[in-house]
Amino acid sequence: MRFRLIAALGLVFTSLTGFTSSQAAPKDIRPIELTIQGAPGQQGAVGVSIDSSLYLPLSSSKTPAPAILLAHGFGGSKNSVATEAQYLAKNGYVVLAWSARGFGQSTGQITMNSPKNEIADIQNLITYLSTRKEVIQQGARDPLVGIAGASYGGAAALLTAGYDKRIDAVVADITWNNLKNSLFPQSIEGSNVAGPFKKTWAGSFFAIATLPNAYLGECGNFSKEWCDAFVNSLNAGKPSAQAEQLLTASSPSTITQNIAAPTFLMQGESDSLFQLSESLATASQITAAHPTTPLSLYWHASGHDGGSDESALTNQKTLQWFDIYLKNKSAKFPNFQVVNSNGTISLQDSTVIPKNLQSSVLPLSAKTEQIQLAPNIGPFTAPIGGIPAALSSLPGLGGAISLASSAIASLGGGASIPGGVVSAALLPGQSAVFDSEPLTKPQTIIGASKVKVHISSNRKDATLFFSLVIHTPEGGVKQPNGLVAPIYIDNIPQSGTDVLINLPAVVVDASIGDKIALAVSSTDQGFQLPNDGRFYSVQVTSPLTIPVTPIQAEITKSDFITWPVAAIVTIILAFGLVYWRRPRHNDAPLEDSDALVSVTNLSKVYKDGYKAVSELSFSVKRGQVVGLLGPNGAGKTTTLRMMMGLIYPTDGEIAIDNKPIYPGSPALANLGSFVEGPGFLPHLSGRENLNLYWRSIGREDEPMIEEALEIAGLGTALDKKVRSYSQGMRQRLAIAQAMLGMPDLLVLDEPTNGLDPQQIVAMRKVLKKYAKTGRTVIISSHLLSEVQQTCTHVVLMHRGRLIAFGTMRKILTRANKKVESLEDIFIELIGDDLTIGKE
Amino acid sequence: MSYNAQKTLPYRVELYRQIKRKRTLFAYAFVLSLPVIVASAVKFGPSGHSGGPTRLGSGTADLIGLATQGAANFTITMFYFATPFLLIAVVSLFNGDTVASEASWSTLRYLLAAPVPRTRLLIQKLKVSLTLSAIAMIMLPIASWFIGLIAFGSKPLQTPLGATLANNVAINRLFVITAYVSISLLFTAGLAFYISVTTDVPLGAVGGAIGVVILLNILDAISGLGSIRVWLPVHYSFSWFDALSSSIQWGSMVRGASYSIMTFAFFIAFAIIKFGKKDVTS
Repeated sequence: MRFRLIAALGLVFTSLTGFTSSQAAPKDIRPIELTIQGAPGQQGAVGVSIDSSLYLPLSSSKTPAPAILLAHGFGGSKNSVATEAQYLAKNGYVVLAWSARGFGQSTGQITMNSPKNEIADIQNLITYLSTRKEVIQQGARDPLVGIAGASYGGAAALLTAGYDKRIDAVVADITWNNLKNSLFPQSIEGSNVAGPFKKTWAGSFFAIATLPNAYLGECGNFSKEWCDAFVNSLNAGKPSAQAEQLLTASSPSTITQNIAAPTFLMQGESDSLFQLSESLATASQITAAHPTTPLSLYWHASGHDGGSDESALTNQKTLQWFDIYLKNKSAKFPNFQVVNSNGTISLQDSTVIPKNLQSSVLPLSAKTEQIQLAPNIGPFTAPIGGIPAALSSLPGLGGAISLASSAIASLGGGASIPGGVVSAALLPGQSAVFDSEPLTKPQTIIGASKVKVHISSNRKDATLFFSLVIHTPEGGVKQPNGLVAPIYIDNIPQSGTDVLINLPAVVVDASIGDKIALAVSSTDQGFQLPNDGRFYSVQVTSPLTIPVTPIQAEITKSDFITWPVAAIVTIILAFGLVYWRRPRHNDAPLEDSDALVSVTNLSKVYKDGYKAVSELSFSVKRGQVVGLLGPNGAGKTTTLRMMMGLIYPTDGEIAIDNKPIYPGSPALANLGSFVEGPGFLPHLSGRENLNLYWRSIGREDEPMIEEALEIAGLGTALDKKVRSYSQGMRQRLAIAQAMLGMPDLLVLDEPTNGLDPQQIVAMRKVLKKYAKTGRTVIISSHLLSEVQQTCTHVVLMHRGRLIAFGTMRKILTRANKKVESLEDIFIELIGDDLTIGKE
Repeated sequence: MSYNAQKTLPYRVELYRQIKRKRTLFAYAFVLSLPVIVASAVKFGPSGHSGGPTRLGSGTADLIGLATQGAANFTITMFYFATPFLLIAVVSLFNGDTVASEASWSTLRYLLAAPVPRTRLLIQKLKVSLTLSAIAMIMLPIASWFIGLIAFGSKPLQTPLGATLANNVAINRLFVITAYVSISLLFTAGLAFYISVTTDVPLGAVGGAIGVVILLNILDAISGLGSIRVWLPVHYSFSWFDALSSSIQWGSMVRGASYSIMTFAFFIAFAIIKFGKKDVTS
């Protein structure tokens, strides 16, 4: 429990200081530590000492450079913005960070950015910058300078820009427009009455300033007047006249009409202290006074309640803004950017990844849409002493409770609340929910909604907390970031009164089937509540008016134009590449000759340098049966593969019927082949294989499939899957496939391998018969006796070269020796040199 | 003798050659088994009970936890399960195996000597392997939907982002998701096809493609690589989540689809160039 409390306080601390800071990154730039005299303090005429750090860009060639004043958050010091200062200085700015009076090593007391004190201090800092030669000067005592800060520092930035014309660009993050309205929020349109006191947040502020310096007494470093104002407000639950005066003086709202410098306003969606509406108010006041001043609004998922860490993004956008307006860099910077934390899902851990949306218009006069709410709903109470009280958000815990409660809500019965809802933010008997009809289209609400209600109370006054919630079909309630719009109203007549409520500005998605609802609660733990018991009744008297902001995903343009165009260009490039790198073949017919096959100077050197065939030339005429002979590695198979268009010759050419052969050459249609074993689809039958092969080869004449099948002689096995065939069966089927359509040229590589003697005899007959029809057969084999019986001509190869070529008879009678067998010739010609190929 | 190169290896012939293969049937059975196994595990598993919703996971922003919500949710969850591996394996199988298996059966040389022109052979094979892949892509959501309907009823789609989508909207979204996942797998298809052309080992082509995609997925999961990861083609494989928002966010899907088509076009171009110049020695 104790640990939790400390953790929670720690979170408050870091979130109040704005930029979470330090420990990261080695410090490449060593700042110059300075003490600059500020405006006079509370007691004397001597200026307070402002402890400052000046960061100069690393390379002196970058100076003179524009300067940036970097203000820290409440409870921090100049060291809490060191990371940001390093980042900006490394990007070519002179950065001056300082500890505000009452913080860090600076003297003086905290007066919450009073124009007379803190803001006057900053004006002294600007004057100091005008004395530095590293800073670009625009005139006497007028440096080129921007100012940035978050939370307490953000207000300092806005107020300085309002009071000092020398500021040339402003970036303010998660800060207030009107401090009174932030601490005593009043959500009734047009009402000047202070709203309920935001006691937990105010208490946290006070604790941060007083707890670390207990010896300074109960007021810590606060000035007497601010200390009194806090204490009185805590006691009274409403601001004293003096406090109102102080709060107003420290509010940018009093001076926004003087801000003419380009202003970039950031605000957190997860921020119950300074809600999104603060940035909207500042933006509309500046735009009203200076319509041409560049102004941009960025709503991120961070804030005083925690949310996700957005510092990388906010730092980057801050730099961009200064680059545009202090360095005149041109860059696109949308006028309105929103992080929709309900974006998409992470693949790794199912967490939700935020999505960035943007728009070219500020959401100041957004179009609206009306949503009808259920009218009714009966009375509800506020408990005596304000306990128990609902929990929407608390410092350091954020809207987490109300988010978690949406899951719990679906489990409970929830009959006790009108509207049927249970949630920590909406307690039974103390709240009411006014539903819309289930949505028929998805709705994204970005900004503040409005609704008119009729309120009556059994006392003269009423303290109520309104919120916009999403009511899911399962009965769960989503209260976006736990944000509520508190109201305080007094002098209520007996019959009740009509008021217009400004609901909190939120960023939320509602889906089809969800109901958008108005929730109202009589209690909230974050606020000072009336001590006596109450009895309220609230009626909705107008439709809910929700803003409709035209907004798109950040990446839209490049996605919808660049990428598809890139894809089309790539496809065209790919086609171009294929066309450009296509193999080019010479298709011109060769000189007329009566040879069916002519091989001229054919050479093949493989990539590894192996010479398989060199300068081979021979020709084959129609009706011949040619034996291609040679020992293993003589280049027979390589030659046959080149003849089939499978391998590119390195040199020389092959022609069939005077037409050149190359991969895909139409002349190949005239060639049937069986080389290096059969090739079939094992999962289909022999018959299917032959049928499909015939249908694949693009010939439109007769397949003569029966003749081919007769050669295969497979009988009933023809309808069995090829997987089950023996080697011999596959061999015969492959030869049958080669003969399909009876091509003019048949090339067979070792056709008798694996055949029985009877089948070999049959094969011999088939081949002779085939050649008699004027067709031609080329057989490669190592069974010389077989070749001797079948072939009319012989091509003898060794080590890739032609050794002998001629008719069988001529070969057998070579050198006038009477030799009986091809084998003797073979051995005589080749000897016992069985070296494979050529070196 | 008449020969017409445009009639070589017709689409129907190649489809028949491939569809009769055991691996085709196994791949489809594999795809169908996913919804059946998950549905029966949830329905009849030890902690299962009929009636109230059983949750596979936990948490509210949890896709898997919503699987038993209804048919549409079940289908989405099946896509979530299938995207990182199952679909990649199936697409790699169909596209990686197609040329390499012809080489390993020795049928490639007979087709080329027929002659089927080399570019035409690749185009015809690609048409068929993409058809087979598309069938698996369509089979998954349809089967999941019906199995989900039987097991969990037809409740509207609940997205992990808290949206509820009526059935007719949900079916439109499922169309978008199916189309997107199909297109985003073109990268894997192109890669597998390219490897298929370079090797004679079918398993090498399939395994190689799966390996590369898984390696890229691992790289994509290393957040230290930062924005380099947007250039990994697999970076967008889950962009279909954006179809689950209350209104479809197209940005990332357009980017992912375009990138996938770009890489596919180049892989196919390189495959055609490579195959056109290759010495076929298988």
